[in-house]
Amino acid sequence: MSAVKFTRKQFESFVSALIQSGRPVMAPQAKNGRYAFGPLAAAEEFRLDYDVTILPPKKYLLPQTETLLTYQVGGACSSVRDAEPMILLGVHPYDMVAINQMDELFRQDQYDKHYMDRRCRTTIIALDVVTPSENVFAASMGTATVKSGYDILLTVLPDGSILADAATDKGQELLDPAESTPAAEADLKARKTVWDKNEKALNKHVLECKPSYLPKLLENAYDHPVWEEKARLCYSCGSCNQVCPTCYCFDVQDQVSWDLKTGERKRCWDGCLLENFATVAGNHNFRKDRAARYRHRLYRKGKYVPGKIGGQIACVGCGRCITACTAKIANPVEVYNRLMEDTELG
Amino acid sequence: MTKPRVAIFDFACCEGCQLQIVNLEEEILDLIGAVDVVEWREAMSEQSHEYDIAIIEGSITRPEDEKRLQIIRSRAKLLIALGACATIGGVNKLKNNFDLKEVRQCVYGKDADMPHLNTAMTKAVDEVVQVDAYIHGCPIDRKEFGLVIRALLLGKKPPIPDYPVCVECKAKENVCRYEYGEICLGPIIRAGCGARCPSNGFRCFGCRGYVDNPNVEAAREVMDKYGLTVEDLKQKMVLFGSKQEHTL
Ligand code: SF4
Ligand code: SF4
Ligand code: SF4
Ligand code: SF4
Ligand code: SF4
Repeated sequence: MSAVKFTRKQFESFVSALIQSGRPVMAPQAKNGRYAFGPLAAAEEFRLDYDVTILPPKKYLLPQTETLLTYQVGGACSSVRDAEPMILLGVHPYDMVAINQMDELFRQDQYDKHYMDRRCRTTIIALDVVTPSENVFAASMGTATVKSGYDILLTVLPDGSILADAATDKGQELLDPAESTPAAEADLKARKTVWDKNEKALNKHVLECKPSYLPKLLENAYDHPVWEEKARLCYSCGSCNQVCPTCYCFDVQDQVSWDLKTGERKRCWDGCLLENFATVAGNHNFRKDRAARYRHRLYRKGKYVPGKIGGQIACVGCGRCITACTAKIANPVEVYNRLMEDTELG
Repeated sequence: MTKPRVAIFDFACCEGCQLQIVNLEEEILDLIGAVDVVEWREAMSEQSHEYDIAIIEGSITRPEDEKRLQIIRSRAKLLIALGACATIGGVNKLKNNFDLKEVRQCVYGKDADMPHLNTAMTKAVDEVVQVDAYIHGCPIDRKEFGLVIRALLLGKKPPIPDYPVCVECKAKENVCRYEYGEICLGPIIRAGCGARCPSNGFRCFGCRGYVDNPNVEAAREVMDKYGLTVEDLKQKMVLFGSKQEHTL
C-alpha cells in the first residue's frame, strides 16, 4: 500500500477514470445552496470543499426504502438481493466512523445480508474535511480524523495538491493506473498539519467531557428535568433521526399487488422520535411521551448502542441533527453538557 | 368470492380527487378487476343502492347533504373519505371563518336569500358520520389511493402515516424551507404525499391535515426562534386548517 500525490488536474483525471469505470460514483455535489451525495456525472461536479451533506452517505447502504422480498399471499417468498458495485467518493471522517459502526451492528446478532451485500460491493474513498460546517463537533467526539474503514483516504494539502493514501488492495488498484507522483515525507507531514488543524476546527460545540464518559453520565440522568424542558418543543418530526449517520432503525411493511395474490415486503427508515415508533400489536405505544422519546435518542447515542459496539459512542458529531431540527432542540452537546453540570458522577 | 361493490359519491368539492382516480390509467383496470364499481357519477351513468364500500368525496355544507350522507352510511359496510374536502373539510372550511349571511351575500349577491342557496357551516365527513378510512390530500395521491384500497380489500389496516411531512421531506434530502426563513407547516402535517410541495420548492400548506397529535404549542413558541409570530403561522394555516380540532 502506498500514498501518492495528485495535482488538481491529475486528480480530475483520476475522478474521470472512476466515472468511466462503469460503477456508479456517488459524491457530494451542490444542491440548492447545500450539499448532497448524488451520482457523479462529471469530475468537476465533485465538491472537495463541501462542508456537510444534508443526508449522510448511509442512504446508499441502507436506502430510504428497499424491497427485502417478494411473496405469494399465503405462500412462498423469495429474498431480493440486488446490490450493485458502487464507489462512495468524498466520505468525511465522521461519516466513515459512522459507517464502521453500522458495519459492526449489521454484522452482529442476525447478519443483515441486505446491508452487508451493499457494503461489501462498495468502495469507499474518504476525504479529510476542507470546510468545517456550522454545527460540526467531530473533534469533541474523536471523529475529526479516521484511521480505518476506507479503501483510499484523500487529503487536500495546504499547497492545494491532493494526497491519496490507499488502505486496501481495492483502493490500490484504483490508484495504480492514475498519473501521480509518490508522496514524499514532507507531504505526509503536511497531511499531519491538516489533521491537527481539523482536530481543533471541527468543534463548533464543545463537549465538556470525554465521549467515553457518556455512558456513565447517562446512568444517573434518567429522571433529569432536561428531557422535559427540551421535549416540550419537540414536533416528533424525526428529522434528527433521518439525517443522523448512526440512526439505523427501520419499519417493515407489506405492499400487495392489485390481484391481491402477490406482494412485496419493504423496509423504510423509521425514527425513535416519531409518535408511533414504539407502537406494537394491539395499538399499545410503550413510549407515548414526547420526553421519553426525546431521551431515548440521546440514550441510544450515548449508552445503549455503545453497549453493543465496545463502548464506541454512537454520535459522531456531524452536527446534522442540530441543523435539521426546526425546533432547535436536538443538539446533543447542549444536553450532555447540561447533564455534566447537574449530575454527580458516581 | 364475489367482488366488493363500490360506489363513489361527491359532495361539495372540485371533483379533482375523482379525477385522480380516473387518471389511474392502467391501474384503473386493476381497480375494476378487484372491485365492482356500481355507482360513479363522474365516470358512468348507472346508479345503485346496493354497495359494500362507499367512497365520499367533498365536504358537507348543507343540511340536506347531511341526510344524504347518513343514508349512504346506513347502506355501506365501509365508508372511505376521499381527499381533503372529505377528510378535514378542506378549502371549503374557509367559509367557517365568516358570518354565513355575509358568505351568501358575497357569493350569490341579490339571490342570496333564495332557499335553494341555503348553506351551513362546512363539515368534514367524520363530523357527520363515522368514517372507516381516510385518503388524505388535495388532491389525493394516486399511489396512496391504490395502497389504501388494497389494504382494505385484504381486511388490513390502511397504511396511512401518522408522522409529519418532514419525515418524507428529509428522506428526499430537500433543503428545509426554514433555512430560507420561510414558514412551512411540515412539522405538524400528516405525511403520505412524499413531501410533494417542499420537493418542488414550496412550503407545505397543510392539505393533508394535522397528524393525530400535533405539537401546536411548540409551533407557537418555535416561531420566536425564527423571528416570526404565531400570527404569521396562523395565516399559513388558514387555507386548510380553518376550524379544525387542533386549530392554532
Ligand atoms: S446525533 Fe446528531 S450530531 Fe450526532 S451523529 Fe447523529 S446527527 Fe450527527
Ligand atoms: S428534529 Fe427536533 S423537533 Fe424533530 S423530532 Fe427531533 S428533536 Fe424533535
Ligand atoms: S380535496 Fe382538493 S382536489 Fe379533492 S375534491 Fe377537494 S378541492 Fe378538489
Ligand atoms: S421543508 Fe417543511 S416539511 Fe421539509 S423538513 Fe422543513 S419544515 Fe419539514
Ligand atoms: S407537502 Fe403539505 S401541502 Fe403539499 S401535498 Fe403534502 S401535505 Fe399537502
